[in-house]
Amino acid sequence: MKTKDEERMVTPGEILGKASEMRPGRGAYAVAETGDVYASLTGRLSWLPPRPDSPDQRPIVEITGHKAHGVVPEPGSIVIARVKKVMAKMASADIMCVDEKSVREKFTGIIRQQDVRATEIDKVDIHSSFRAGDIVRASVLSLGDARAYYLSTAKNELGVVSAAESTTGATMIPISWTEMQCPLSGQIEPRKVAKV
Amino acid sequence: MEYLSPEGLRLDGRRPMEMRQLRAEIGVVPKADGSAVFEMGNTKVIAAVYGPREVENKTHQMNDQALVRCEYSMANFSTGDRTRKPKGDRRSTEISLVIRQTMEACIITHLLPRSQIDIFVQVLQADGGTRSACINAATLALSDAGIPMHDLVTSCSAGYLKSTPFLDLNYVEDSAGGPDVTVGFLPKLDKVTLLQMDSKLPIGILEEVMLLAIEGCKAVAGYIREVLLENTKQLEYRRGG
Repeated sequence: MKTKDEERMVTPGEILGKASEMRPGRGAYAVAETGDVYASLTGRLSWLPPRPDSPDQRPIVEITGHKAHGVVPEPGSIVIARVKKVMAKMASADIMCVDEKSVREKFTGIIRQQDVRATEIDKVDIHSSFRAGDIVRASVLSLGDARAYYLSTAKNELGVVSAAESTTGATMIPISWTEMQCPLSGQIEPRKVAKV
Repeated sequence: MEYLSPEGLRLDGRRPMEMRQLRAEIGVVPKADGSAVFEMGNTKVIAAVYGPREVENKTHQMNDQALVRCEYSMANFSTGDRTRKPKGDRRSTEISLVIRQTMEACIITHLLPRSQIDIFVQVLQADGGTRSACINAATLALSDAGIPMHDLVTSCSAGYLKSTPFLDLNYVEDSAGGPDVTVGFLPKLDKVTLLQMDSKLPIGILEEVMLLAIEGCKAVAGYIREVLLENTKQLEYRRGG
């Protein structure tokens, strides 16, 4: 790991070194013709060691700016979303948190019928899995189409985390992995419950 | 009008190769993602950057890169006479396009697909070189917003009067009818991204005037870099880092 000038501050366009000696991470980029690595953000330089199992053993150079950018869902990340609309073959939801950070502006996601659970996916009834207003934990399958991310709740720990009962509005308590009960009225409603 | 006195001084007392005083401030619009005020002598402009954010008009959304929009306008009080139409007129539309193309070439757009970056620049006081001041302010604002760029874009103008190249023309010198060459330059990558000229100039003189403008751009770049580093240090210090 480099120690000289390790923690210095840089501005966009500054040369950080040769691409043969370091790998450009976040905030840096390499130009193939000159073989140099340049900074693309204003901030503090930091060095990350390479992963021991990766074939590329160059250290990674990163630049952390002072402005935090809103987090964006990536395939594989776990998100918390609020169900907006439930339709025959899918449910649409607003993504509010990605991993542990909340987003700056909400993203749209859809949970298709075949992605609700892992077993008997053609016999899924969306209305018995989600209702509008439920808070669900889901994983991002892919970036989806131009309108929405594709989400999946096909794991035990994914699904409805919190739901309100339709008549009383009270938060329901899960009683099995397919049902939730309202503490005030005793009404049982079907949901795809997440195993917390 | 004596644009160059016998002692070699311009109307405002500068030497032909002297730039006006530069002053910049970052973070002047807290609501914006990035903002800056840039002054070159009496010319004062303010830039605000919003982005990256979701594209408003989905038909313009690009799946592999960010959409960059730019709007240039002049405040009603920016010139001596009250301007009739501060934006939407041909000059503003042209300058908006020029600034957009210059900044777009410099932003690493493929890192922010399906998003939109809005750059708003407004001239608060116009005394020649507004185009250059706007580009410099936009660079500072983009850097403040943390948008990845290949390099800082700096801009400066140069002219040719009385057989002498003049650096950084003010409004009176610009109105003299001589050529006005505006250059947009990437200092570390040593590349020209914008080259515009008004009026006429013998082709042999163009290179000399352009190189003078590039020298001006390098000086602006040095100043901008200082301002950015100082601003970041201040923020870190306040954060307790």
